[in-house]
Amino acid sequence: MIASPALETLLSAAPYSLPQWDKRALVTERTRELTRHHYEHCELYRNLINRIFGGSKALDFATLEDAPFLPVSLFKTRELRSVDQSAVVKTLTSSGTTGQAVSRIYLDAPTAQLQSRTLVKIMQHFLGVERRPMVFLDHAGVVRDRRSSSARAAGILGMLPFGRQPFYALRDDMSLDIDGLQEYLARTRDQRPIFFGFTYMVWQYFVEVLEQLPLRLSLPDAVLLHSGGWKKIEALKVSQEEFRQRLAAVTGIHNVIDFYGMVEQVGSVYFENPLHFLHASIYSDIIVRDTNTLEPLPPGQPGLIQVISALPESYPGHSLLTEDIGVVEGCDNPATGMSGQYFRILGRLAKADLRGCSDTFQKPVSISA
Amino acid sequence: MSTTVNHDLQVRLLAPSTGVESLDSVLSMTDALSEPFSASRRHTLAQLSRMILKDADLRADAGSVALGYWLRKANIDRLTEAFQRRKEAEPDIVFVPAGRVFHVAPGNVDTMFVYSWALSSLCGNRNIVRVSGGQNPILLRLLDLLSRLMQEDPELAGGNRFLTYEHNEKISEALSRWSTHRVLWGGDETVSLLRMLPLSPHASERAFGSKFSYSVISISGYLEAGIEEADRLAAGFFNDVFWFDQMACSSPHLVVWVGAGELLDPAISRFHHSLEKEIERRRYRGAPSNAIHRLNFVFNLACDTNVTADLSQKEFLAIRFPDAAELRKEICGAGVLTHVRVDDLAKVAELGEERDQTITHFGFSEMELRDLAERAGARGVDRLVPVGEALSFEPVWDGYDLIGDFLRRVSVRVKGRSA
Repeated sequence: MIASPALETLLSAAPYSLPQWDKRALVTERTRELTRHHYEHCELYRNLINRIFGGSKALDFATLEDAPFLPVSLFKTRELRSVDQSAVVKTLTSSGTTGQAVSRIYLDAPTAQLQSRTLVKIMQHFLGVERRPMVFLDHAGVVRDRRSSSARAAGILGMLPFGRQPFYALRDDMSLDIDGLQEYLARTRDQRPIFFGFTYMVWQYFVEVLEQLPLRLSLPDAVLLHSGGWKKIEALKVSQEEFRQRLAAVTGIHNVIDFYGMVEQVGSVYFENPLHFLHASIYSDIIVRDTNTLEPLPPGQPGLIQVISALPESYPGHSLLTEDIGVVEGCDNPATGMSGQYFRILGRLAKADLRGCSDTFQKPVSISA
Repeated sequence: MSTTVNHDLQVRLLAPSTGVESLDSVLSMTDALSEPFSASRRHTLAQLSRMILKDADLRADAGSVALGYWLRKANIDRLTEAFQRRKEAEPDIVFVPAGRVFHVAPGNVDTMFVYSWALSSLCGNRNIVRVSGGQNPILLRLLDLLSRLMQEDPELAGGNRFLTYEHNEKISEALSRWSTHRVLWGGDETVSLLRMLPLSPHASERAFGSKFSYSVISISGYLEAGIEEADRLAAGFFNDVFWFDQMACSSPHLVVWVGAGELLDPAISRFHHSLEKEIERRRYRGAPSNAIHRLNFVFNLACDTNVTADLSQKEFLAIRFPDAAELRKEICGAGVLTHVRVDDLAKVAELGEERDQTITHFGFSEMELRDLAERAGARGVDRLVPVGEALSFEPVWDGYDLIGDFLRRVSVRVKGRSA
């Protein structure tokens, strides 16, 4: 770990305890340290700073908005590493439909430890310190099958340490094992189970299936964590409110927490706050930029989301321009019981169809889930 | 022509807009050919021009407005006069239509199919035009106008079919066999895909591969220009770059500055400033994904090559190659400009490659340009036009005389040679 008083301060505080502008000052300082660190240790990053951001003077930015960034897709085409290959303990890859390039993220031991330390703190804020029974709304095969190193498997593996007695509620054919689930819930009665799944799978294989069954679960003390975006759900014309309502109607679960994160910045994940917005912890922050001019935008105006994380030391992923569109909805609001700013994701940037001369006959695109 | 094998092949007819039809019924077009440049065919184009220029949606699209003007009577009359001169220059030749023309239109320039078809129609041919099946509103609007015009113009309706189909070799092959001349627009991939399909042994073909286009600007000539002239240049350059999202064959991707290095910085700085003013004046906002598209391209390029970039620009992103020897002629589109400097025009000619198409120019004399045309043309450049005219369509395209392609020349000698 790089010696950093700013990071020490962040790690010693609770994840939502610092007012935005105190946090911003610490995160900015830490981002300056990381920018310099990667400039010194990653040749590709150094070249990019020199060629695109005007050289080493770009390291001394005063505000976070002026920090250099990389487009997140660069991790799909380039090997970006600030440590020797021999120090890499884990390589994370993003999900990706067949044929698409995947991001490759190189973790050394200190960065991996930092990530799990902060992830634990964020999870404990929402779930408590006690490890609770955990129900995965997926089938066990998804983690058994090593070839499918999918986001689904990565999500489940990342979640496992926070629960106990894992139960997979779906069978291999994605049908709901309702008898097994009821038996498991009876066994773990009054132990406040945690349900975890990808948003569209929760909807399709759990909520909609339960709605067809002549039974209702009663789980007022359970919590559902879900992630993966609303795109597939919105295609079904289901709003977030309807999702929560219909889930509660068939399960009795009222505590529903969406989260936003990416393989490029594991550990500094954004959890849904009580106002149903995604909340930045003290380990990260976001900047919203105009899609066209890339100018930073004030709260309330939607644009491209840039994510800043205080954690990545082994790869230069501390400041990334994503292709997600979002909007800052508020900051340091007492109604949330949490300090810091929060936002909403509006979706993925729609790619304009830039057709070259050679696209007269577009190749049929196969869509895989 | 074999008609029995085509009965299960289907295409979607967009003009006339009769929807899905069997290929057989499409190929059974019986309308007779017309003499080249007939009054009725000229009239049809003038009608189409009026419809385009009256249409609210199309009037908002610069490419369609350019097409509307190109089709108007005055311009078609000019083409007709040029044809008359051609006939007079060759009294022993009778020009007849090539016959049946199969056009494969490009996917990137929505209006291109009309230019290709209009010239062929003027020459008196029957036409089948395959357009991309996408949901492009401009393309669909143009086809809608053609359909409407067909309802009152039996000659147009009888001899022309605008259609689309997913890539299907059997359909492309049947249409190729039907044709006496095939025009392939749409770049290397389309050309290599379709060229394999046989034509009738008597048919001819013209293919347009992928192209690369650029600008050459004299550093001293540019710095000497007054503000008004520099602004006019920026306005022209804006059109060349931002229409069709810089993805037309003739859209410039590269600016080659010619002259001494000391004045390069002030020249580029002035150029960017006036282009920024023009972008602001027009309140131009490209597609929301363009900026990310540019960033992804430039960050990847900067990983491999010693370029410099400036992210502060809005709606475009300029990069500089400090060393012309390292230049990469790569296409990004959506507003990436590459600057490079060379000492003189002879060096520009050395950059020429077979796939080069249009050079737009500023600040050179006619003699210099003719000399460049000779040197660069030998390597592949097809066209040198002033900045601002990159996208103007001309009947000579990529160095080929399209009207000549759409006609057949029948020689008539009345008396024996020995007489």
